[in-house]
Amino acid sequence: MTTIDLNLVGAKGALVEEAEGKWGMVIDQDICTGCQACVVACAMENNIAFVGEEDSGYGRSMHWIRIERFWEGEYPEVKMTHYQPMLCQQCGKAPCEPVCPAFATVHSQAEKVNLQVYNRCVGTRYCANNCPYQVRSFNWRDYNDDRLDEAIASLKNHFNPDVTVRRRGIMEKCTFCIQRIHKAQDKAKSEGRAVADGEFTTACAQACPADAIVFGRVDDPESLVSQLARQSHGVHHLEELGTLPRVTYLVGGQ
Amino acid sequence: MTEQKSLLAVFHDLEPAADAVEQLRRLGIHDDHMSVISGVPVTEPMLGRPHQWTNVPRIAMGGAAIGMAVGIALSFWAPNMYAIRVGGQPFAPVPPAIIVIFEMTMLGMLLSTFLGVFLDSFFPNYRPLHYVPEISDGKFAILVECSSMDETKITDMMKKMGAESVQDAEAQHL
Amino acid sequence: MSEKQQHDHEKHLREEHLMLDPLPRGQMNDMVMESMHTTSWKFWAVFFILSAFVAWGLFYSWGKMILEGLGIAGVNRPSYWGIFLVNTVFWIGISHAGTFISAILRVFKAEFRRPFTRAAELMTTFGLVQAGFSIFMHMGRVWLSYWLFPYPNQRELWPNFHSPLTWDLLAITTYLLSSTMYLFLPLIPDLAMARDKSTGWRKNFYKVLALGFRGTEGEWTHLRHAMNIFAWAIIPVMFSVHTIVSWDFAMATRPGWSSSIFGPYFVIGALHSGMGAVVLVLGVVRGTMKNMKYFIRPEHFDGIGKLMLMISMGWGYFFFNDYLVQWYGGDKWTKQLLHWHEAGPMGWMWFAMLIFNVVIPWAVLWNRKWRSTPWLVGTVGLLINFGMWFERYIIIPISLTINRAPFTWRLYKPGIEIPLSLGTLAFFILLYMAASRLIPLIPVWEVQEGQMAHEFKKFGRETVVTVSELE
Repeated sequence: MTTIDLNLVGAKGALVEEAEGKWGMVIDQDICTGCQACVVACAMENNIAFVGEEDSGYGRSMHWIRIERFWEGEYPEVKMTHYQPMLCQQCGKAPCEPVCPAFATVHSQAEKVNLQVYNRCVGTRYCANNCPYQVRSFNWRDYNDDRLDEAIASLKNHFNPDVTVRRRGIMEKCTFCIQRIHKAQDKAKSEGRAVADGEFTTACAQACPADAIVFGRVDDPESLVSQLARQSHGVHHLEELGTLPRVTYLVGGQ
Repeated sequence: MTEQKSLLAVFHDLEPAADAVEQLRRLGIHDDHMSVISGVPVTEPMLGRPHQWTNVPRIAMGGAAIGMAVGIALSFWAPNMYAIRVGGQPFAPVPPAIIVIFEMTMLGMLLSTFLGVFLDSFFPNYRPLHYVPEISDGKFAILVECSSMDETKITDMMKKMGAESVQDAEAQHL
Repeated sequence: MSEKQQHDHEKHLREEHLMLDPLPRGQMNDMVMESMHTTSWKFWAVFFILSAFVAWGLFYSWGKMILEGLGIAGVNRPSYWGIFLVNTVFWIGISHAGTFISAILRVFKAEFRRPFTRAAELMTTFGLVQAGFSIFMHMGRVWLSYWLFPYPNQRELWPNFHSPLTWDLLAITTYLLSSTMYLFLPLIPDLAMARDKSTGWRKNFYKVLALGFRGTEGEWTHLRHAMNIFAWAIIPVMFSVHTIVSWDFAMATRPGWSSSIFGPYFVIGALHSGMGAVVLVLGVVRGTMKNMKYFIRPEHFDGIGKLMLMISMGWGYFFFNDYLVQWYGGDKWTKQLLHWHEAGPMGWMWFAMLIFNVVIPWAVLWNRKWRSTPWLVGTVGLLINFGMWFERYIIIPISLTINRAPFTWRLYKPGIEIPLSLGTLAFFILLYMAASRLIPLIPVWEVQEGQMAHEFKKFGRETVVTVSELE
């Protein structure tokens, strides 16, 4: 009897093998309080534009992480379900990448994350359409131009010098705080050692008062993030699409 | 010493023009020294004229080959210059390459077909040419190169065959 | 049949069919030249109004959008693509009619095509120009759009050939270039005719464009061969273009879009709107331009009407195929999407699409008398175009509203897209109006060739029409 090579037919074993990323995240929805501290911290860390009330209400908010709220039942008999912080899942097989005609969103071979190359982006917005998680945000206007909005001028001193300020017409998204990754790697390299688990973390994880967000190396089975992700109540969002997300959600644990 | 002359005879119908071509051959004019100019396309057999050589299909095939080579180069060679991996897909996959190769082949073929018409017909050509504007009213004209000695003989024959006019053709700006 | 009856029969056929009603070529030439030279004050009034629309709707609005960003348009999350893409697909659809009529009907030797091939081909070229405008408008940083073209550069970075948008760009470029060349080749003899018949600036204009064409045996042979190659080769190009446009959607990981039938469904949709537009343009040309009632007759509306009916049935078939498979699959997101189409706030558009694309064409076009009536079949053509525009609107912004992240669901409301759409429409009509006065709209030599090939023949007691194959 001939045996079928499961790796050849792309069976689950092969996918798991390929899923091995480098950086990953675990979000515990059971303890998330929906306080939005992560959203604010991310906006400060990554120079995310202030789009104003009107644009935000029209679906143009630019946050790289958002707290999704769902409920069950019809008003007034509604029951809140878990808060769902949603950010770029840094897919191993990202649907956003192959559709960009200009190679503006590519896979980093070194960090195994999904990169957005701001100065290569021409703004076709195909990547955002093709993102099943809808976590990409587009610069609809020059939100950071103080000639257009005087109120912006006072915010200029808050910009993080490690992160580019984006102009109109380009796409952006969560980078797993790649500037922090690089800083930690540089520091470790200069001291002649490897980056230790928990030595640094992303802005959202740092700000989370409930410690619902944990960031670290998923290719190290001993790291905190790997141990948390191995729990039986860990799920990947829209796993059935085969996007190989790097963020594990913990929901419905004890 | 014989002087070379060009005569342009204009016919209203195809039939007498074809007869005149035959008569001209009988008068000793070689096919190379006459040509038919018409306002509607007529094929060579209709006029009893030798087969007209055209390079257009060959040029088209050549263009298709070049286009295909460009398509293959774009799909399989160009990405190597700056290797980028996207979406877990193979580096230079075949299925999308088929699309690129198809489009480039067709583009090469059609561009060169168009170019072929220009090359074969010597377009654009703004030099003076033997022509009478009545031709575009659907007439058939025979342009004959002959020696001045044969001029009257040919003119009479053409008139007899039913030519509307036979004139000394002078090259003019169209 | 008595002799009188026979005579009446022949007379009737002659009145009905252009190919059986020959006029001397000189007279036809003069008629076509006269139609180009005749412009009434109404022509100029429409011309200037449209110019104003183009200046405001296209150039001013687009300039403003480039300066301020896409924020002044209605696109948002989740409808990242809006009316710009609707218009792109719409105009590419319009452009399919020209190729269909002049290439497919030429290959199959459908004689009724002869007088209006050029009128249809012009729509191809001008439609593609509008499609180009629409796709570039849609881009966030249009000033960098040259990055999408494969050209050698210092960075050694080429476009991404994995992306359907790159395929699209190659396909549309191929199609625009080849359809323009295909428009130009059969035009050369008519330009030569116009050169022989005009004076003044027009003489110089046609002299340059006619390239020195005289009509020698060699010139005709090269032209005939080239046109034959074009007619065959442009058909797969045309199919590839709209199939690739459909792949922009079908390749995406989205409910409602990821469908393997999108290719042929889009091709037939393109032909549907294209034929509707051709019949509408022919109706306007026949009604407003001098001498066109001789060249464009009810028989042509009848012929196109039959094609429209066939294409409408084909569209219905593919639509149902797509719908049924999506519905049967029972995927929860697709179910939400189908419900949103029919019962959502834009449900009226979904029903209007079916009425305009299927119900009205079927109700009108089955009847020979009705489909031979220019104004009636022109109106059907206009409604089909509304229906097809709605179809694209449903596929793009309305379907984008529903995705796998329900927290982001939000309806799309167009902003500056409206003047920009009007601007492209006005620019299309403007280009067409200018062309109708600058180049011979009727391929006179092709009409004469057809008339030479047709004759009456006695078959027993009856007079019938025969066509000789001259090519």
